[in-house]
Amino acid sequence: MSHPPVEDQPPPTTVFPARAIHTLDLTVPSGSAIAVKDGRFLALGKTDELVDVYGGTVDHSLADKVLLPGFVEAHSHKDTGGIWQFTYVGFEARRGPNGRLWRGCTTFDAVVDRLREADRLLDDPGEPLLAWGLDPIFWPGERFDRRQLDAVSTTRRIFVAHSNMHLATVNSALMEQEGIDPDTVAEGVPKDDSGWPTGELQEFPAMALAGQTFRSFFGRTQSDESVLMFGQAARNVGVTTVADLGTSNLLDEAVVQQWIDIADETFPMRAAMFHGALMSAPDGDEACAAAMVDLKRRSTDRVRFGNVKLLMDGSIQGGTARLRWPGYLHGGPNGIWLIAPEQAAERIGPYHRAGLLVHTHANGDQAVDALLDAFDQVQTANPLPDHRHTIQHCQMTTPGQYRRMKALGMCANVFSNHTWFWGDQHRAITVGPDRAARMNAARTALDIGVPLSMHSDSPVTPLGPLHVAWAAINRQTPKGEIMGEHERVTVAEAMHAVTMGAAWQLRMDDVIGSITPQKFADCAVLEADPFEVDPAELRDIPVWGTMSGGVLHQGSPQTDA
Amino acid sequence: MTPGSVRLPLTVIGGYLGAGKTTLLNHLLANPDGQRIAVLVNDFGEIDIDGRLLDSATDHVLRLANGCICCSVADNFAETLETVRGFAECIDRVVVEVSGVGQPHKVSQWGHSPGFSPDGVVVLVDPLSILNRAVDPYVGDTVVAQVAQADLVVISRTDLASVDELEATEAWLDGVTGATVLRAPLPTAVLLGPAFRPLDLDHFPPARKVNHGSVAGGPQHADHVTISRRLDGPISRPSIETWAQSRPGGVVRAKGLVRVNDRPNDRTVLQICGSSTMVSVDGPWDDGEDAVVAIALPGTPRAALVKWLNLLR
Repeated sequence: MSHPPVEDQPPPTTVFPARAIHTLDLTVPSGSAIAVKDGRFLALGKTDELVDVYGGTVDHSLADKVLLPGFVEAHSHKDTGGIWQFTYVGFEARRGPNGRLWRGCTTFDAVVDRLREADRLLDDPGEPLLAWGLDPIFWPGERFDRRQLDAVSTTRRIFVAHSNMHLATVNSALMEQEGIDPDTVAEGVPKDDSGWPTGELQEFPAMALAGQTFRSFFGRTQSDESVLMFGQAARNVGVTTVADLGTSNLLDEAVVQQWIDIADETFPMRAAMFHGALMSAPDGDEACAAAMVDLKRRSTDRVRFGNVKLLMDGSIQGGTARLRWPGYLHGGPNGIWLIAPEQAAERIGPYHRAGLLVHTHANGDQAVDALLDAFDQVQTANPLPDHRHTIQHCQMTTPGQYRRMKALGMCANVFSNHTWFWGDQHRAITVGPDRAARMNAARTALDIGVPLSMHSDSPVTPLGPLHVAWAAINRQTPKGEIMGEHERVTVAEAMHAVTMGAAWQLRMDDVIGSITPQKFADCAVLEADPFEVDPAELRDIPVWGTMSGGVLHQGSPQTDA
Repeated sequence: MTPGSVRLPLTVIGGYLGAGKTTLLNHLLANPDGQRIAVLVNDFGEIDIDGRLLDSATDHVLRLANGCICCSVADNFAETLETVRGFAECIDRVVVEVSGVGQPHKVSQWGHSPGFSPDGVVVLVDPLSILNRAVDPYVGDTVVAQVAQADLVVISRTDLASVDELEATEAWLDGVTGATVLRAPLPTAVLLGPAFRPLDLDHFPPARKVNHGSVAGGPQHADHVTISRRLDGPISRPSIETWAQSRPGGVVRAKGLVRVNDRPNDRTVLQICGSSTMVSVDGPWDDGEDAVVAIALPGTPRAALVKWLNLLR
């Protein structure tokens, strides 16, 4: 049966009644139904009224749900999805993009059992077993090494990345195949009393000794499957837009086309792609900026180009962030510079002058000092009134630095999840309780008037804006300490930060971030109301899924494998 | 010798901004001294290539008419090394440029990757600015860590610095590093190690003077002394220890590929770069000749060098 083509037929309007709708748009903060047309919000109001005015059909499937604008994760990485191609052996339970709950492996035996199960599922004996998430910090005084992995298999190569991705443990079969033996003298390859490497490979040069297995691990997260799983992971937690912060080399046409092709109207997620210019500007920053300007024109409704990521320093828990006096509580040396302070303005300048958006990683307070010096120079030389350059992480940024950021027109994206994932370590080991209480100072940023977002840095911590918001609102550590009660924010502020706040920093607030007519019809679809539940339980709100461009995407069914 | 069985020596060149790394790399590419060098850089823009000398170019690799290649360090270093490994049959060694705030010692760990062997951490120092950099609140500790973990520190811009500045720089270096400290200009073989593949030894007559191009400008340096020795067969491990401990002053580079009598089927590598001495096994013996080559500062007595190499027995 075929229909004659009908021209000028308007696309259908669909009205979605909901239990509650929080628009995050102060003009019309709430409503009971939305009308959606052509992938965009048409109007907000009451169901009958919307049908009267706009016609169309009523879809009751969200009638008992709570709608917020789709969450925007302004700092995440592509391997958020791809990492789940590997077997998870972390201490804390996590849920994969397909909805499977991976219980935490809290003992050595649990790790071995998990790996044995994965070994049984692999048919090809030549295929390596790849796993991730191991965190020996939870077993102080005990050693997890090749002996445990040899109990899994003496023939199959096994590569287990630790949770920080800077270390790995491998088994004897892999060591034999790659020639890792007593003659291996590389730093980062510790040996036991017999002179044999223990199987632990520390940092990338040592991990790379695992040869093809190492390359499989770090290469497989570049697959199409990886991007698709990223979309699933986002949908499951109410995220409709992510920023991919420098994980993809956008000078590589294949990577660009991969994103454009995959992110069609059926894909549940939009992405703001940030080119990792720190390492990938082989012809210099001017040439790289010109390429990004060209690429920006190829942006689609779902994939935005024209953004650049740079990095100033490392991480606080890794001891590589650059700190002001008095440095690390543990007395370790100050961290590392990834860009020389005196070169920062020179590196940022070309992107700034080209009108590109620059987001720069700076964890430590000294790194932020150097970065602010650079932006001061860049802005003074070429003032742009609305650049929205953003400092990523801002973990130790002080009130004085926030005032400078305000004066320079900069935005802050704070790493709020740290209070939960490393809060106790920051109090006891890295910076001590006083500076820990001042970390990720969302309250200060807001009070000073710095545009704010907050993030997970997934997969460093799990993707999930409700958890991020919960952390910023409660600032509770696993040991039950409140880490800086004066830096807490309200539910409304946190919800704004993970929607409009993030959209602003991505220069996408005109199309996403609130439920506002004309914007893309992107919603987080929740089973409970964040403004009604006890703020201490915000992270426990079940997420039904999302609406993306007017299309409903239900989250993966949760299974407990 | 089976193809690919020799590991490519990998030398790391570090030093803070303005220390002269780019000048040095360009000089090495223009004057490779008979060695086919692969230079790994972050940014092609800094490489000064005369179009006529360019043989071919792709996104990540430039091939020069003189046999050298230049690779950009793409997204990750492991991939870049994989690319370089693809050229193993047509290059002799690898030089990696480390960013001005990078830690050369850490980067040198990549030299342990399959197909490569670490061949020294060389850090350049600008005598006109180093003393100020060393007390800079942002980068002072970085600059000190760079030279502290070097094997060989090379003072650059010796033609522009005054004697006072050079001496003050040397006095400061003496307090912060155990590395061998030399003034530029220096021959390629001192910076990167001697041209050495077992099959090349026939082209490397024993005990001759080298006549290399100079590096990083300045007056022509006096000739360094190069000496080599073929060994009669496997040597004893204690003799290696004696040899390592008896190094005459003036020796700045050495390389040996030998058999040791407790491991006669393996290739043991003896290596000196500045202050560091390394003895390692990098694979099965490949029917080449047991031999060692050393380079010493101008004026080093040849008799002392001969006597020293004869300790290996």
